[in-house]
Amino acid sequence: MDVNELRKNAKVELDGHPYVVTDFQFVKPGKGQGLYKCKLKNMITGAVLDRTWRSGERLDAANVESKRMQFLFATADGFTFMDNESYEQVELTADLVGDDKFYLLDQLDVDVLFYNNRPVGVSLPSHVIMDIVECEPSVKGDTATNVTKSATVQTGLSVQVPLFIKEGERVKIDTRTGAYVERVNT
Amino acid sequence: MIRGRPPLSIPARVLAWDAALAAVRSELRGSGLAEVVTPVRLAAVAIEPFIEPIAAPPGLLATSPELPMKRLLCHGAPSCFQIAPCFRAGEVGDLHREELHLIEWYRLHADTPALRLDVERVVTAVFEAVASVLSEPGLPEPPRRWTQVGMLDLVDETLGVKLRGDEAPDELAAALRPVSAALGDPLATVPHARLAPHPRAHALAAWTAFFSAWCDARLDPWLHEHEGEGTHLVEFPLALAALSAPGSRTGSSSHAPCVAHRFESHVHGRELANGYRELRDPDEQRLRFEAVNALRVALDLPRLPIDEAFLADLHAPGLPPCAGVALGLDRLVLLASGRDRLGDVAIELGRPRRS
Repeated sequence: MDVNELRKNAKVELDGHPYVVTDFQFVKPGKGQGLYKCKLKNMITGAVLDRTWRSGERLDAANVESKRMQFLFATADGFTFMDNESYEQVELTADLVGDDKFYLLDQLDVDVLFYNNRPVGVSLPSHVIMDIVECEPSVKGDTATNVTKSATVQTGLSVQVPLFIKEGERVKIDTRTGAYVERVNT
Repeated sequence: MIRGRPPLSIPARVLAWDAALAAVRSELRGSGLAEVVTPVRLAAVAIEPFIEPIAAPPGLLATSPELPMKRLLCHGAPSCFQIAPCFRAGEVGDLHREELHLIEWYRLHADTPALRLDVERVVTAVFEAVASVLSEPGLPEPPRRWTQVGMLDLVDETLGVKLRGDEAPDELAAALRPVSAALGDPLATVPHARLAPHPRAHALAAWTAFFSAWCDARLDPWLHEHEGEGTHLVEFPLALAALSAPGSRTGSSSHAPCVAHRFESHVHGRELANGYRELRDPDEQRLRFEAVNALRVALDLPRLPIDEAFLADLHAPGLPPCAGVALGLDRLVLLASGRDRLGDVAIELGRPRRS
């Protein structure tokens, strides 16, 4: 592709990795070369970098697409997802899923990212609702509002929750930060 | 200056543009220029390596009204101005739109200092006119003073590199070596091998790459330090003469021409206008157009048609001695309105929203 096709959210290939343009600025002296100043995010690792292209340069578009899929099950080797329409299944290795595994609830809908038709990562919903399977008991009389305690949810993820949360309750967790958001009444 | 103002409402845009257009006409007509309109669809444009015309078969949409207006002058027209719709493909950003309006004017038997004074008067008039109709507190003031600085002097001041203005690409590369990394290695993208048989195109490529990187890395920060002022950048290197006449550097002991009678005007850190003592030599003009095309071919860009009718008019009847300048009206309205993006002031209604 030509650099003048660069826009926010354009997907380009750099050193064999797919990147998405997260910020984009076009500057150009009237009679000079245009500069395309981009902030880019590696779509697999999440690493960010700055890169400037100049008019006349060419670059490769990244062949990426994302598909809405459902998490089915985990094995020793990886995680299996299913396309809800075609029932096609794909497996991602554990290292590609990384710490996202702590949010993979049974039947959770996620976006699976394909690069050159190979699954390379998942994109989680921003929040998930999880069950507290283990936490310290509440202490009566401790009313400070900013005090928290450790709790564990069914995937093994450890989160800091307010003191009033009890085992068996459901909580909303922000998947981007791993932080407790609120108690969910069922 | 207050930043982050919301986009102008549609009625405010109409008022601001109405005030700006009236102020421009009042200034330029008032100083003896006739207003003209020239065709927007042209057989050929003033070709540039990095300005892409938009096709409008069987011609091209004007990227500027320069050549049709100069042809009028060749055929006896008086000093004149135009507020011209222009089109440049792919220029999209906060300060760029594919469709823009240039105020372009030419003064016969005049030189660039007269045009710089014109620019200052037009800028001040539009700032005052727009402020008077928008009635918002804290709108930007017109530049409180204007300064003039030689481009190569400013390169020396901001980079510590002394250049004459006529260095060949290898000489330019050697001079820039100590600062090349700070500029992002601009000459690395020049297709040196493909341009070796075309010395003019090679010089154009090297100087344009250096100039563009310097503008971003050094000129813009320098201009921001001088926020509130107007700056005329003068005495451009010969390779960046565009359509201006060659000349010699003021204060230079050498009489050999190594700079061009070209200036750029910047207001509140934004490039606003570009002016020339106009080149009148048809043979030199043809060589410059051909150099642009040679560079375009080396960059795998399409060759653009050369305006043979314009070149013929430069031969006979010939272009009288004159100076001309183009000023971006959209950016001027933007600056006077205290906004940050051209889309905040453009008179253009978006697409209907889907319900």
